[in-house]
Amino acid sequence: MSGPDGSALVVNGRAHPIDGVPSHERLLDTLRGRLDLKGTKEGCRTGNCGACTVLVDGRSALSCLVLTHEVGDEPVTTIEGIAADPNGRRVQQAFLEEGALQCGYCTPGFVVALTGLLSESPGATAEELLTDLQGNLCRCTGYAAIVRAVRTLRAEGP
Amino acid sequence: MGFELVAPRSPEEAFRLLEEGAGAASVLAGGTDLLFDLDRVTTAPRRVVSLRHLPWRGHAWQGDTLVVGSTEPLYELERDGSVAARLPGLHTAIRAVGSRALRHRATLGGNLARAAPASDLLPILLALDATVEIAGPAGTRRMELDRFLLASRTTALRPPELIRSVTVPAAPSVYLWQRVRPANDISQVGVAIAHPGPAVYRIAVGGIVPRPRRLPGAEAGLLSDPPPGPERVRAAEEAAREAPFPSDRRATEEHRRRVVRALVERGLVHLAGGAA
Repeated sequence: MSGPDGSALVVNGRAHPIDGVPSHERLLDTLRGRLDLKGTKEGCRTGNCGACTVLVDGRSALSCLVLTHEVGDEPVTTIEGIAADPNGRRVQQAFLEEGALQCGYCTPGFVVALTGLLSESPGATAEELLTDLQGNLCRCTGYAAIVRAVRTLRAEGP
Repeated sequence: MGFELVAPRSPEEAFRLLEEGAGAASVLAGGTDLLFDLDRVTTAPRRVVSLRHLPWRGHAWQGDTLVVGSTEPLYELERDGSVAARLPGLHTAIRAVGSRALRHRATLGGNLARAAPASDLLPILLALDATVEIAGPAGTRRMELDRFLLASRTTALRPPELIRSVTVPAAPSVYLWQRVRPANDISQVGVAIAHPGPAVYRIAVGGIVPRPRRLPGAEAGLLSDPPPGPERVRAAEEAAREAPFPSDRRATEEHRRRVVRALVERGLVHLAGGAA
């Protein structure tokens, strides 16, 4: 069954036809199951953990709580495309330098969410960024290095 | 599990699509609450009517009153400095909803229509005397939020009616909540206090059954401006006595009573110029 506006889903700059995607399918499942973009992780599937965070038109969204056909023509950016964004590259570099991951499952969500925050609020302080990162959970509880990565980013200035 | 997804371009078309689907149609705004249910088959609609193309986004001040379109995402209110300045309690409550990623999509109208008993927005909107504008095939009607909310997950909306906008008069206000975890958790209780005029206080509480409500007994004891210590304590004790708290997996009734007592007093101190 095709969706109501059913044309294409633009992910990381590439358009994918979604006419065959069922109306009830979530963006998370389309990305992972159809487009083979496995960097976006499924955590809780209830909007509580942030592991599935992607950018929709530059703003963070929980891809487990978005129907694929509801995205319309707004461009989607996943972790696979985040390095094309200068803020995304800076976040990746900071996470790399601080070793801000343990098992790594939550990392794509953190990187994408933080990239979105930097674009939305370029002047935000480290504390403000950390407050708004509270939607992302790390089950390894490896927060100390993530906090260091955020402070590193802010020490560089906006 | 499967359903037909439709995205009408006008309210009239939306009403028609909802009427055709009588009883088996669900309304989709931001989807952050509905999709949670759809995954658990607590709701199994045959048709889902998306409001994303309706011209109801946006918010604006009309004098001292904020008018919010029902499909306005919460984040648009959060990032507007005039909302933080003129409706501080509402701003705090919005920031308490989920995460930034959730607030990018979740809408004010959706929060009201879904009417969760633990909603962080309902107590502050009750305290601020918000009004709901309801659109239907026969025209629009307005209703005080207190009359709109009937019970847990139940409102006065009569299908195929939709919320068109929410009207919120500006007032000094405060919202305080208690949770197990500060982030990404649901409040055990939420206390909202608005102070629209000299010696006028409106107190509402959430996390109670069957729905968030005002506490007229607690309000009635606040006669001074600002209320002195003993008056604040009496109001807080009355609030804790008056509200019908449940015991559930989030908190016991006794815990909720103690927290509400503390939060009401703290909120009154905050409105009198002290630290919250």
